[in-house]
Amino acid sequence: MPKSPKIQRWIDLISALLSRHYPVTFTELARDVPAYLADGSVARGQPSTAVKRMFERDKLDLRELGIPIETTGDDGSEESAYRLRPGDFYLPYIAVVSPRGTTQPRKIGKYGYRSLGQLALDADALLAVAEAASRVRQLGNPVLAADAESAMRKLAFDLPVGAASAPDDTYLVPPRARAGAAALQALGDALFRHKRVTFTYRSMSANTTTEREVEPYGLFFLNGHWYLAARDCEKDHVLNFRVSRIDGVRVNDRRPGTADYQIPASFDLREHARSRHPWELGDGAPVEATVRFAGDSGAVAAASALGRPLPDADDDRRAFSVRRLDAFARWLLSFAGDAVPVAPAELVEEFRRQASGTRALYARGGAA
Amino acid sequence: MSGDPKAQLRRLLHLIPLVADGESHPIGEVAATVGVSRDTLLADLQTVSERFDTPAGFVDGVSIEVTDRAVTVLTSQLLRPMRLTMRELCALELGLGMLRRERTPQEQAPIDAALAVLQAAIAATPASPEAERQLVAAELDAAGREAYLEAIRGALRDRRKLRLRYRSGSSTETTERTICPYSLMFSSGMWYVVAICDGQDGLRIFRLDRIEGAERTDEPYEVPPGFSPDAVLDGGRVFWNPSPATLTVRYSPRIARWIAEREGAEPDADGSLTLEHPLADERWAVRHVLQYGPDAEVLAPASVRAAVRRALDHIAGA
Repeated sequence: MPKSPKIQRWIDLISALLSRHYPVTFTELARDVPAYLADGSVARGQPSTAVKRMFERDKLDLRELGIPIETTGDDGSEESAYRLRPGDFYLPYIAVVSPRGTTQPRKIGKYGYRSLGQLALDADALLAVAEAASRVRQLGNPVLAADAESAMRKLAFDLPVGAASAPDDTYLVPPRARAGAAALQALGDALFRHKRVTFTYRSMSANTTTEREVEPYGLFFLNGHWYLAARDCEKDHVLNFRVSRIDGVRVNDRRPGTADYQIPASFDLREHARSRHPWELGDGAPVEATVRFAGDSGAVAAASALGRPLPDADDDRRAFSVRRLDAFARWLLSFAGDAVPVAPAELVEEFRRQASGTRALYARGGAA
Repeated sequence: MSGDPKAQLRRLLHLIPLVADGESHPIGEVAATVGVSRDTLLADLQTVSERFDTPAGFVDGVSIEVTDRAVTVLTSQLLRPMRLTMRELCALELGLGMLRRERTPQEQAPIDAALAVLQAAIAATPASPEAERQLVAAELDAAGREAYLEAIRGALRDRRKLRLRYRSGSSTETTERTICPYSLMFSSGMWYVVAICDGQDGLRIFRLDRIEGAERTDEPYEVPPGFSPDAVLDGGRVFWNPSPATLTVRYSPRIARWIAEREGAEPDADGSLTLEHPLADERWAVRHVLQYGPDAEVLAPASVRAAVRRALDHIAGA
């Protein structure tokens, strides 16, 4: 007899678990899952190692899919019992509240469905959910887009999510160098399972391509690009890798159900991923810089607003915390004399050096 | 990917609640609702409907009949979708988090309410601890101008003209104008409003950090049916320039590879890169090259080259 596909076995197992009102042992459960009966060992009262291993693997896979199978006792032991509570598995009923009243979802009067809880959303909250899904779809990350899509399909069972969709007038513009879908998929998978990955990385500052082994701590989207924050196993340091510069991602396939590492509780991805200006980057202590703004064009006004007013100075002076003086000097140079550093002396000198080096290019007269 | 059992199970758990009423459902309609191709749907259904074993025990299984035109499903289980998974919650939480950063304090309540419902709808499993929700982050910086974004979004949604106070990058004066917003775009860390000015032809682009006031009016407008945001996209940037003028810049080998990656170009044999950019505004061109210091040089036009030289003379004399 041909072997049953895994998907049939899973659906049989989920159905068997959902139909029980109480925890059951593997032997009891196996009677309702034809694939577990195939070698006859369950019928003989001595489930074979192969069948038990198959069940253990199935539980692991289903839990990975988010199906909350409970175990009473130790997983795999003869006395253990298993349960999937309908209230833990099925989506609660979700009603829509509007000024005209509450729209109730269609309810099912059978065992397992009657006791499901009910949640309620108003129209503005529903619109927020639809807009949130739309934002996620535009981030260019197929893993996140699929997860958002999947969530919206579930919610659509009770909610008019299509009708709630805002007009599609907001666009996130993707950069020219986009992260590859396969890399994002593999990194997202490794991240959620806490599996170590290796890949080749093209470092722009060193202008080299090297093999890296890392422990992913997070994925973040900043200024149009996806970055992987990960502990580099060789350098023992958390680094950011632009995903569009990553190639050949390989996820550690040993012990797939076991995490390879833990993310330190002190790691805060949102803080780590905070947008910074180039002059704010680096590990050194920040230097307090003072800049005098002279012009009042829109560009100068926006730049001036990034600094802090100085209490004892003229209105046109602003203070900045700077880690990289060279990057800051170049940024000031772009205002063509309408933003000039006043202190510290090293910054003033760096600014003059950059301006003088640039001026030398144009002293030649005609273009090269 | 129809052969991946995990992906198949996800799809079937979406599908079964929609059609498990014992009635015959046209395959095409079901495929469209589930968001998969007809072939994928048929492959999924055939995998679970063609059984080689004998359904055992007293538990109701899932009975599925498939023809090339219709599907009939009968079961007493799986009549509702499963709860949200932690990963699905993560994805929507990420989107709500992005909205939160764009919105004013008065607009936060629906986001909080939505989040509370989504969090109550998840399935907690041992494999998805709470900490996993911190794995992905994204935000679109509103530059402290959330109130203007709110006004722009409202005007766009209701198609009402907007009174705007704006100081362009090169202008020293704030001007007032009435605009018809066509779209709101986020590119390279900045929000832009694409609009036409009332009574004028031609698109205009307004940077959020240069808007000094935005007030919705009651006057309606229409977005032309032919408008596409692609009209203002140039190599991943928001840019509108009907003029054919160009700016030629040589980037030194020290920075050329970054520019080449951003622009999708290849450096020259000596490692430098020479590019032509659309040129709409001379002051923009001066700022653009000066941000790279001695690593960028304007080659043409001569007028911009002269403007850069004047700016550097001004700095040297300051």
